[in-house]
This record gives sequence, structure tokens and C-alpha cells, in this order.
Amino acid sequence: MSVKNEERVEKYSRATRILHHIHTAAFILLFLTGLVLFVPQLGVLAQGSWTRIVHRIAALAFIIAPTLYTILKPRAAIAAVKEAFTWGKDDLGWLKAAPRYYFLSDEKDMPAQGHMNTGQKLWWFIVLGTGAVFILTGLIMWFLKTVAPGALLQWMVFLHDIAFIAAGAMLFVHVYLGVIHPMMTEAWSAISKGTVSKHYAQSHHGKWYEEQLHKAQKKDA
Amino acid sequence: MADKAILYDATRCTACRGCQGLCKEWNENDEIIPKTENGVKSRNWGSYENPRELASSTWLKITFNEVEHYGKVDWLFNRRACMHCTDAVCVKVCPTGALYHDEKYGIVAYNKSLCSGCGYCADFCPFQVPQSNRNLITGKAVMDKCVLCTQPGLNRLDASYEPACVKTCPTGALTFGDRDALVADGKARVQKLKSQGFTNATFYGEKELGGLHVLYVLNDTADKYGLPVNPQYPATATAWKDVMQPLGWAVGGVTILGLAMNYIIARRAKAAQEATVNKETENVGKK
Repeated sequence: MSVKNEERVEKYSRATRILHHIHTAAFILLFLTGLVLFVPQLGVLAQGSWTRIVHRIAALAFIIAPTLYTILKPRAAIAAVKEAFTWGKDDLGWLKAAPRYYFLSDEKDMPAQGHMNTGQKLWWFIVLGTGAVFILTGLIMWFLKTVAPGALLQWMVFLHDIAFIAAGAMLFVHVYLGVIHPMMTEAWSAISKGTVSKHYAQSHHGKWYEEQLHKAQKKDA
Repeated sequence: MADKAILYDATRCTACRGCQGLCKEWNENDEIIPKTENGVKSRNWGSYENPRELASSTWLKITFNEVEHYGKVDWLFNRRACMHCTDAVCVKVCPTGALYHDEKYGIVAYNKSLCSGCGYCADFCPFQVPQSNRNLITGKAVMDKCVLCTQPGLNRLDASYEPACVKTCPTGALTFGDRDALVADGKARVQKLKSQGFTNATFYGEKELGGLHVLYVLNDTADKYGLPVNPQYPATATAWKDVMQPLGWAVGGVTILGLAMNYIIARRAKAAQEATVNKETENVGKK
């Protein structure tokens, strides 16, 4: 069994990992340079507009990286979005089993998951939803600040802040599940090196693992 | 100390704009010269009003309003600058504390070195007063507005002088003093105007936004002078600062606490399970 375990399965392609890291770095910069306006005590750090310049540079990376990925790898991009929006009874099963699974390591009722588990699909909703709000409201505040009516800009600030709270809080959950949670032993390996062990693939993404196995068998035959 | 205020009597203003000029001079704000290829090039936009709007280097200007006034067209002059509201939304939304209430004079003071250039004050001001020299691409900006001559090093009030605009007014349209006394004075003037037949005469600034520190004697309704008739503290500011941001703290705090709790419980549960599995494996091995 141990020998088999050393065989690795590719979870994320190189392009996907690069996109992930650029987008993450951009978001963390955006988060921190936005946070200085959220915490009055940090306000002094924003003097001289430099946090706002960093915010804009990071915003460009935040917008350009996924756009470029979609242009270069349209099929992968469409497949990923499609996957996030494809829900079945196993997703409901995940929702029911998640508390016991994530707190008590109880895998009994956890249905086998696809390449993306239900939690990851939910995270995609957050990323896509808040991403759209961030970009739309952000671009309006960036380029229409001096021409748009005050009432519109007030709402843009407000919505940008809601997205900030939602995405910021969920980022903690995402990072926690990726690198800290005791059961997610190879999630970090998946996104940093691209591969997971067969054992991990089987126990965490059982449905996807079966699919891969079938594909490999078909090829052989 | 009692709140100070400026009283502007529109009926005495001749739009000489001495106030506009001395405001720039005292506060060391440059004039704005349009940069065109052949030097200064002015374009007629249908009014003698100049400049067209406040700017980061124009904190005060006189507006010219051509309106119907008691049955005939008239030219009504008005003073446009920071109103120094008691309920100042700019102070509320300023994230760095650059804008603050001055306890001594009751005005909206400004510590320019703290400004991050975010522009929230401009977005929320019911009078669209704060202005910045914003770079469209980089977003680099510093806001400016009238501080009632309290700039550090140029503080006229601390030296017991009246603000520069008041000092230079030749017709007595501008007076400076204790707010309470000016409210009484202004109301009396409005009563007099009414008795003279200006039935729409208005005293503006007493109650608006908790009380302005620039008070207006107008001999018609406020809208004829280009002022919002019933300026409101934006509800979005309350929703954002008093509801959304505290909620954000709660959401962030609960999330982090929840994750910490999950870690403690999940680690223990996993260790317990592994211990069982190890023991079972050992037992199997023995057999």
C-alpha cells in the first residue's frame, strides 16, 4: 500500500497554480491596503496616498491575471466555472456531513466528492461574486470619482465594503482549510506542487479519482 | 468657549469677490491659470462667475445665480465654501481622522498631513465642498477646503483676528462672531426683510445638519441661491459606518474564533481516531 501511495495525481496544472498565486498575492495586498481605511488606528499608514497607489497596482493584477488565464486557457476556465455551478445530491450530502467531518474527523456520512468539493464550490461563489462587485465598484470609484454623482459613489463605497467583509472573512476560512486544518494534509501540496498522493485523492476527492482511473483504463485499452 | 460662526448677508453682497481673493492670499493658495498653448485663454460660459467651481486651491467663491426673483429676473450672489456643519458627515467618513471637530470654535478643522486622498468626504458632503487635485491614474490626491483660517502657522482665529474673508469685506456682508449672537442678529435681519416685502426671505443654517457655522441671510428661498433646501445627513454614511463596519468586525471576529475552536476540536478528534487505528493495526499484526 505504501508503494502505491507514493504515486502522485495531478490536481492543478501549472497555469492554474500561477493564476492562483498571482490572484492571492494581489488580493492580500488589496486586503491590507484596504484595511488601513477600515481600522481608524491604522489610518496614519495611509498618509501620502501610497496605500492607494499599491491598491491600484494590485487591482490591475487582480483583474488581468484571471482575464489572461481565460484567454489562454478558455477550456479550463469554462470547465472550472461549470464545475462550481454543477450541484447534485452529493453536494447536499456534503452540507449535511460537513460539521461532523470537519470537527470530528467523522468520514462515515461524507459522500465521495468530485475534483472540487462542495466547500470549494461555495468558495468559488464567494470569489466570483465578490470579485465582480470589487471590480465593478472599484473601477467606478477609480475612474468616475470626479464625474459620478455623490450618491452613486456612496453606494460604491458601501458595496465595496460588504464585498471586503465577505471575501476577507472567507479568505481566513480558505487559508485555514488549505494549510492548517488537521485533515487537509495535502491541499497545500495540491496548489503549490500541483499533485496529491493517490491515497489523498481517493479519500478526499473519491468521485474525481474514480473518473481519472476510468480515463486511464480507457486509454490503456 | 462658545461656537464661532460667519454670517453672510446676501442682500449686502456686491460680488466684488475681495473675500475670494484674500482667501487665496492669506492661505497661500495659487490662482488657477488655464494651461493652453497660447497662454491664458478664457471661454465664455454664460456667466461672470469665476472660477466655475471650488478647487483644492479655491476654498471660497461667490456664485452668481440668475433666477426669477419676485416677478423679475435678478442676479443673486451667494457665498460658497465649507459650511462647518455640526453633524459633519465628512468627519464621520474620514478614515484617518484628518477631518475633525474643533472643540474651541465648533468648526470642521483639518489636519492635511493625515489625508490619504480617499475622497470619501467629497462623496458624502451634502454641499459638495471638499475638493482634491486628484491624479486620475494613480489616484494620488490631497483634499482641501476652507478651515476658517485655522491653518497651522496661519491661524487667524487663535490670534484673535477674524477670518480673512470677513476682514476684507467692504460692504459688511460678512461678519464673524459668537454663533448664538449671529443667529439672533441674522433672524432679526430676515424679519426686517419680510416686513419690507421680501416674503420669502430665509435664514439658512440655524438648524440644517445640526446647525451650520456659516449662516445666511437670504431675501428669497434657499434654492434660488443654489443651496439645498433641506440638506440631509446621508443615510448611506450611517448604514456604512454604524451598521456595516461594526458588523464587519463581528463577522471577522466570529470567523477567526470559530476557526480556532475548530482547530482545537478537530486536532483532538483526529488524534483519537489515529490512536484507535494504530492500536487496531498493531493487534492485527500480532495475530
